[in-house]
Parts: sequence; structure tokens; C-alpha cells
Amino acid sequence: MTQRATGQRFRQRKLSTKQNLPVLREHEVEQLQDDDATRHIPKVETGVEKGEEIEHHLQAVISAAQAAAQGGGTVAQLYIPTPDAVQSKLQYEDLYPRHFTQPATYIRFSSTVEDTIGVAYCMTIEDAGWLKAYNQKKGKSVHCPEDEFEECMNFFEETSQTKQPYATVDNAPVLSYEDLEAEFDETISESARRFAKDIYSHWKNQRLLKNNRPLLPSLKFETNLETDDSDPYVCFRRREVRQVRKTRGRDAQVTEKLKKLRKELEEARFLMSQVKRREFMIRDQLAMDKQIFDQRSAVKEIKRKLGVKESDEELLINQKPPSKPKQKNEQAAIRRELPGGHRPPLTRPDGRLVDSDLVYLDDQLAKKQEAIDGFIEENLMKHQKWNVGWVDKTWRPITPPLEQPASKSDFRRVFTSSQLPTPPASVSDDEIGDTISVHPRKQLEPRRSTRIRYATPPDDVPYQDQTRYRRRVGRGGRQMIDRRGVKRQKLEPIEERILDRYKYDGDSSEDEEVYPVDWTDNLHIRYRIMIERQGDKQHAQVAAQNRRAIENHNRSASGHLLPPSNPAAAAASA
Amino acid sequence: MAPRENSHEPSGTPVPVETGYATLATLRTGVKAYVEKEGGLRKAEILNQAVRGGHLKFYVHYEEFNKRLDEWVSTDRIDLTKPVEWPAPEKPEKKKAQAPKKDVPPRPDQKNLKRSRSKLDREISATPSEATSVNIPGKAPRPSKAGGKENKEIVVTSEVPDGSTPKPEDEEMDLVDVQDAAAQAKAAAPENFSREEEIEKLRTGGSMTQNQTEISRVRNLDKIQMGKYEVEPWYFSPYPIDFVDSEMVYICEFCLSYYGEVTSFERHRSKCTLLHPPGNEIYRDDNVSFFEIDGRRQRTWCRNLCLLSKLFLDHKTLYYDVDPFLFYCMAVRDEHGCHLVGYFSKEKESAEGYNVACILTLPQYQRKGYGKVLIDFSYLLSKRENKLGSPEKPLSDLGLLGYRAYWQEVIVDLLIEDKVEANIEDIGAVTAMTTNDVLHTLQNLNMLRYSKNQHVIVLTDAVIEQRERQKAKEKIKGKRNIDPEKLIWKPPVFSAASRTWNW
Ligand SMILES: [Zn+2]
Repeated sequence: MTQRATGQRFRQRKLSTKQNLPVLREHEVEQLQDDDATRHIPKVETGVEKGEEIEHHLQAVISAAQAAAQGGGTVAQLYIPTPDAVQSKLQYEDLYPRHFTQPATYIRFSSTVEDTIGVAYCMTIEDAGWLKAYNQKKGKSVHCPEDEFEECMNFFEETSQTKQPYATVDNAPVLSYEDLEAEFDETISESARRFAKDIYSHWKNQRLLKNNRPLLPSLKFETNLETDDSDPYVCFRRREVRQVRKTRGRDAQVTEKLKKLRKELEEARFLMSQVKRREFMIRDQLAMDKQIFDQRSAVKEIKRKLGVKESDEELLINQKPPSKPKQKNEQAAIRRELPGGHRPPLTRPDGRLVDSDLVYLDDQLAKKQEAIDGFIEENLMKHQKWNVGWVDKTWRPITPPLEQPASKSDFRRVFTSSQLPTPPASVSDDEIGDTISVHPRKQLEPRRSTRIRYATPPDDVPYQDQTRYRRRVGRGGRQMIDRRGVKRQKLEPIEERILDRYKYDGDSSEDEEVYPVDWTDNLHIRYRIMIERQGDKQHAQVAAQNRRAIENHNRSASGHLLPPSNPAAAAASA
Repeated sequence: MAPRENSHEPSGTPVPVETGYATLATLRTGVKAYVEKEGGLRKAEILNQAVRGGHLKFYVHYEEFNKRLDEWVSTDRIDLTKPVEWPAPEKPEKKKAQAPKKDVPPRPDQKNLKRSRSKLDREISATPSEATSVNIPGKAPRPSKAGGKENKEIVVTSEVPDGSTPKPEDEEMDLVDVQDAAAQAKAAAPENFSREEEIEKLRTGGSMTQNQTEISRVRNLDKIQMGKYEVEPWYFSPYPIDFVDSEMVYICEFCLSYYGEVTSFERHRSKCTLLHPPGNEIYRDDNVSFFEIDGRRQRTWCRNLCLLSKLFLDHKTLYYDVDPFLFYCMAVRDEHGCHLVGYFSKEKESAEGYNVACILTLPQYQRKGYGKVLIDFSYLLSKRENKLGSPEKPLSDLGLLGYRAYWQEVIVDLLIEDKVEANIEDIGAVTAMTTNDVLHTLQNLNMLRYSKNQHVIVLTDAVIEQRERQKAKEKIKGKRNIDPEKLIWKPPVFSAASRTWNW
């Protein structure tokens, strides 16, 4: 019976493999004398070859198992008899020394058998006999060790394999010693070469005994002769060999591949040679620098000797220039690139440079930034002064009364981490509301006490990139949150190990732990809106009144909005 | 005449069997005679004969016994008082298939003695056997199929037919012997595999198993020495042909290199530095380690492993190379190194969804519960891959029993956990077993029944009792469990190029 038939049988009986079947114990199901289902269940295929399925011992075990499964009581454990495995008489400890120590981590290993077995040729008993006799004959002065012997034999074997790959087929004669000697290379050591000639005679005899076939027993690989297929000793055929079809397209494909490979290799080679050239040039440059330095110090010495009172500056132009006014500094920077160029020497009595005189780029940039910020601030103030007493009618006509026109301070800073300090020593209940609420108008006021203290914003982030919020109140009390520079934090969970790494970093005390908080998270936004609202209630009421006033004025009979015409209302918002 | 014993023969195709009485001189390859085995007489087929240790011996295969019990018997164990079955007359053209020998230079060694002796025997016996067959009248030449068996003869025993005209190979010769029940199964199947098809199937399918017809029938190695043990091989394995003369073949426990004599082996051991299977350890617990080895990267080692395992796996084929397989090798550790206990091979990509190609516990470690650990591990890998798996067929007898025991244990354990309902596909999904294997197991244990107009799964008392007995035994003996936590492994991915470009 085939598996397919089994499936059909069940389909007729509507057994679905997807359907849940009740799991019952034997006593829960009625014992049918003639169990229809089981009787009609065909025998399941075992997966064993039919010829073997009927084998005596297998059948015995299967029926014993069957009997056990059917509740036939205790059945003696049956085994399929197998030939023996017995303890070997060889001295295991001698053959396999205790060399293994288990590493703490799982072993990773990629060396091959060839890498680990040393010289492939292993002496036979005949070899051992010959070598013993040879060493005895030669006396103690020239003793040929086993390793050298095997090295030679291995070299002869491998060389004849490469020089006469078909020796077994075409009955080629055994290679002469001269032929072999000509092939000596790094695979045969000097110490082994000393014995090569003597060992050759033994090797030749062995080869002759074997009809010039390899001495080491080897597997039979395919020879692509007809006899291969019926020869059970031929093994490990390559799967691809038969598949290769010679087509022009395939040839072209292979050519292309090889061309590409070659091109890439050449590119890599070129890159390497360029790198090499660069490194040489750097070396030359360093040598040059050193020479310059040496010569300068020589000049200095001469100057000292001759009593020249001139400064040594020009000798040291490769050093960091001393601090100077800005423009000069820039000139100096230019001059620095032109060694040998002249510039007014900065004289110091001892002719040496002092660190405090150095100008740092950072300081300069900070100064510059400061100047720019100051300039902007100044202009802003100027504009505000100019605008005092004026109403900007061009401002979006139907906008409800505005808070302070957009200025930089209108956006509130948001920080990506907050410190949760120990609660303030004493905070009265009525204070809490105030302290939590952060009113934009009060921003400039010093905070009396804080529940959430913000860290200073990172200095290295430019203003534009800092995360900031602005709240605006729209019509009908709508609150609008403008966000700027919001960067969504990565949603992927922070790896515990990374957190761990920073756990004891920094000097904050335990109760001032920094909790990473996603401030762009809706929950937090809502929370901030809430605390904002509490402190904002009063203002909101005022704003609502204003809005109502505007709406009353601006709404025509048809209900359409008109541009604000009430200067009072507009002024109130200003 | 002796009654027909081989009841498994197809009744529809009566195969004429010539019987008669034989003498030692007329016994030859192909003859079926009664041989004393385990205190009784059992019909056995003579597969080879040779002079071993100064005595004529016959290599016999007992009917209905596994090939691993085939053996050399002395003449006194053959009962010639009972009639024997004569083989079908040889067809001359068949001989061509018997691997012509080109390398038989005259040299006086044991092997040659064997050969010439066997040749001699044949020549002598040829006439009497013909004579006997005349006893049965009306016996026309058999259907050529019946002669197919000769193809299974091993080369070592074959001789060069003198002056026989080579004819084109008989097509039918490639079909399996009808007498063989295996062949019967094949014949019943829609496809009749020709040899070429078989090989093609092997090549494209990446299968590691092979039809019986391909396999040499006489063990070529008498004994192997490996680690602390001497082991008797079970089947033929294509080790170097020189080894047929060796009393013992020595196999290095770590690199699995093979040596025909102890001197070479000892020299090898003094140089070999390998201490564990040459791959990455992917699993380690208190008992065992598993190493993952890529057939392409460790070609020599994997070939050595395949040669070794072929000694114990009948259906394994070494026809093609090891490149498309990964080998998961289980080892036990001590101060000497990691000793190979067993392994399973797995196709890098199996079209049929097999999660195991070949699986073997080395004989010296059998019956210690390692087989189940191997199977369990193979399913653990399938779970990691989010795949269902099943072992490649055909299974060996030991393989079948091992898998059945594992399947039963896993499924019964799952159902016993207070389950009220179960569905076959879910059981498969949890255990990484195919639906078919789940069904197979349930049916085999008589757990799938029909009650009150619906199918039910019955946890039978017998099954529960069996499981409890097993658990009690495990408590005493200790159970080797695979701990999934200790597997550090991601399913390897192979690019198309690495599978096809063979360098
Ligand atoms: Zn080794």
C-alpha cells in the first residue's frame, strides 16, 4: 500500500489533519469487537526496502513492538543482531596521547586533514626494515630518521604522480633519480636530501614490485572510462563533470568571468602598489623633516656660537605659531604653509614659545559665534523698538490674537533626558501647581523650585537642530504645538548591555538617575500639554474672551469670517 | 523436492527453480544451500568462495537475514544432505559487465591464490551443474531478468571471460531481479528504474542512498581497528582495493585516515594533530558535542567519514562526491580528544525536504541511546530552520526502529501533557515532523481510531505503560537529552555558486 492510498482512505472518512481530534484514554472509548476504522486502516509504509522489510530479525522486533503497543504485556526487549565490536589490543594511551584541553568557547576550526597529518607518506613494515638495515650499515655518524625517510618517499611519490599521472595506464618506466632530483623544491628539506639518493633505490624497488603504481593505497576515482560504472570501487565522482555542456555561450560566459576576475585582481594590485608608494613617500618626507630639523639645530648652534642675537623663530616655523591678533593669525596660517617665507618675528626674551600664547580654533569659533549671536540679538531688539506703537496689519488677517511674535525664545527647549532629583525639601501644595506648570511667559523668571529639572542642552548642537516646541492657541481654544528639530528616537529597544555600559558612568548620585525618555512620544506630549494648561488657565480665559470678541466682530450676518477690523482687539493681542 | 521457502516471492510470477543435490565440488556462486546458523539450518546463497587459512570457505548470505550477517563459513557447516537450488544458467554476455580486470600481473600473493582458486572451482563445476539442470525437463532458458543477479557479484571474484564476444549490454539486465522482493516492489511502482535513470536520479537528486543492485555483495574488509575498539564491518565499502589482503584496517579516530598495516598507522598517529572533527562546534553539553562540517570544505575528512560509515550502512552510496552535504558529527570528549560517536549527513538543499540523508551511530557506541540523541538533534535543526523534516528513504532496519522509537516518545509525551484535543498538523509543527510521519506513528501504535462517528486519538494503556517503563529506566540509567539552549547555530546559507562551482 502506498502512502497515497492511506490518504485517500482517510479522506473518505473525512479525517482532516488540520482538524482537532479529541485525545482520549483507552477506557474512554468503547472497545469495538470489530473496529471498523482500524481494520480498514491500511498498513503504513515503513520506508524500508521491501526486500529487507521481511527480514527475520526486523520482523521479530516489529511484532514485539506491535504486541507491546497493543497491550500484550511485557515483552522482552529484542535487538537486531549485529556483528561484534570488541576492545582493541592496541595500546590506546600510546597511540592517542592526552593532548586535548577543551576551550571555554565552542571550537571553531577550518584546517583540513591535509593540514593536520603532516607528511602523507607513512612507513610500511618493509620500509621500516630497510631503514633499520640502512642505519645499521651506515653506522652512527649518518643516521636517517624516520621523518626524513618519509619526506623523501613522499617527495618521490608526489613527483611521479605529477610527472606521470597515467603511469598505471601507459606502463611508464619508474622515474630516474636524475629526473626526481631536478624537481627538488621546498617540499623536501635539506636534511632529507642528504639521504635522497640512498632512499631512491629502495623506493624504486618498491615501485617496481607494484608495477610502478603509487605505493600508498588510494581510492579509485573516476577515469572517465567505460569501466567506471560497473566498478564498485570507483567512488566520489564529481557531480558536475557530466553536466558540462560545451556551448559557445558557456565558453563566452566563462571567459567573461575570468576577464572580470583578472581585471579586479589587477585593480587590487594597483591599489596595493599605490598604497605602498604612498607609504614610501611618507617615509621620505619624515626623513626630510628630520634632516631639516637637524640642520636647523645646527644653524642654531652656529648662531649661538657667533653670538647672533636674532630670534630663533625662523628656525622653528614648523611649530605651532604663537597667539596673535586675528588677521595676523590668518596670515601666519598662510605663511606656515610656505616654509621659508618671512614674517615679523615675535620676540620674546628667551626666544621660546609659551603655551598660553597659542590660539585655538575652538576659542576663535566661539568668539565668532558670540559676535554673530550678539549682532542678531541687537538687531532684533532694534526691530522691536521700531515696531513699538505700530500695528502690523499685514500679519495673517484672520489669525486670532497672537502671543508674542515668533521669536527664538518662543520655542521651548526640549531635552532628551531629564534628571529626576530627590524631591525638594519642602514644597507647599499650592506651589506644586505653579512649579510644574511651565508657562512660556514666565520663562525668563527664575524658577523657584523644580520638579523636573532639565539638563543643559548639548552645546555642540546648533540652535536650529535643537528640539524645540512652541505652543500656540488657535481659534476655539485649539492648542497647536509647533515642533522644530524633532528627531524621532530610534524605536528599537536599547540593548541592555549598552545600558549597562553607561550605568556607572558619570558622577550623578544614585537618586539622580538619568532615564532615557522619548519626548516625542504622544504620552509625554499630552502630559506636557496638561501641565501647561493648569498654569495657563488664566491666560486661556483671557484669550478666550479675546477670541469671542474677535468672532463677534468678524462674523458677518452670513456667518462668514471677515478680516479683523477691530484695532482694539488686534492691539490687545500684540 | 524441497518446498519453496521464500514465501515473499511474488505468487503471480512463478520462477522456475532447479533443485538437486550438490557436492562440495559442484557448489559455486549463486547456489542456494542449507547452512547451519545459530543452531539451525537456514537457506543461504553462496556469494563467493576462497581458500582462507588453508581451508576452502564459502561466503554466504542467509535468506531473510540482513546482509550484515553474511559470513564466511567452513564446508562442514553446509548441509549437503539437503537439495540445493541451482542458479540460472549464466549468459555469456553478462560477463562483460563484470568489470574486466586489467591489473592482474602474475604475482604470487594471497589475493591471486584466491582468484585462481575460485576460477578453477568454476571451471570444474560448470559441467556438473549443467548436468544437474537437465534433471528437470522442459526448462527453457530463464527470462533474462533472472540472471540480473550476477551483476551484483563483486569484482574481486570475477574472472576474465576468455574469448567471449562482447555484445551490447542487455537492457533487461539492468532491471532488478524478480526473485528479489525489492525488485517486486519496484516493478509494482509506476517507474522502472533503469541503471542510467538510477544514476541520473542520484546525480540530480543529491541522494545518498542507492538501489541494492548497485551494491557489492561481499564485504571487502574483515576487521577495522578504530580508537579503543576492533569492529567487524557489516557491508562493502570502496576502501582502496589493496585492503582486501589486510587482516585489519586501522582507522585514525580523529582524521579517519585508513591504513592497511599497523606500522603505517602508528607512524601516522605520531604525526596526526587533529583532535576533533574538523569543523565548528555548534552544540556542547555535559555529554556530547556536535560539529558541523561542510563536505566541500573538508572533502578529505568527509570522504573518510563516508567510507567508514559505508561499512555499516547498506544503502549508502559513495557514487558521487560529498560536496552537497553537511555533516553533523556527534562526539564525546575526554583528555584524548573528541571521539566520533555518530553523525548524520544532510543535504545543503533538499528538494524532497529531507532533514537527514544518512544517519549512523558507530557500532562500538550502539545501544547506548546515542541514536535517539542524533535524531533529536536533527529535528532540533529543523525547528531552527522552521521546517518540517523527515529522513531520506529507504531506511535501514535499525534506522526504522530508531525513528519509530523516537517518534513514539515525542508524540506520546506531547499528548500526555493533559491534552484534550490535538490536531495532526499541529503535532507536526511542534515536533518538526512531517504530517505523514505523525500519521504513520499514530496508526502504527493503533492510536488513531473511530469512535462515536468521529476520529479520535487514543492514548492507549499500553503506550502509556511503555512510556512510564521507559522513564523509569531513564531514571536509573540517565537520559541523554539535547538542550536547545546550547545549540549555537544559524541555518547556513549557500549561494548558488558555492553549490555548483566545484572549486
Ligand atoms: Zn589521524
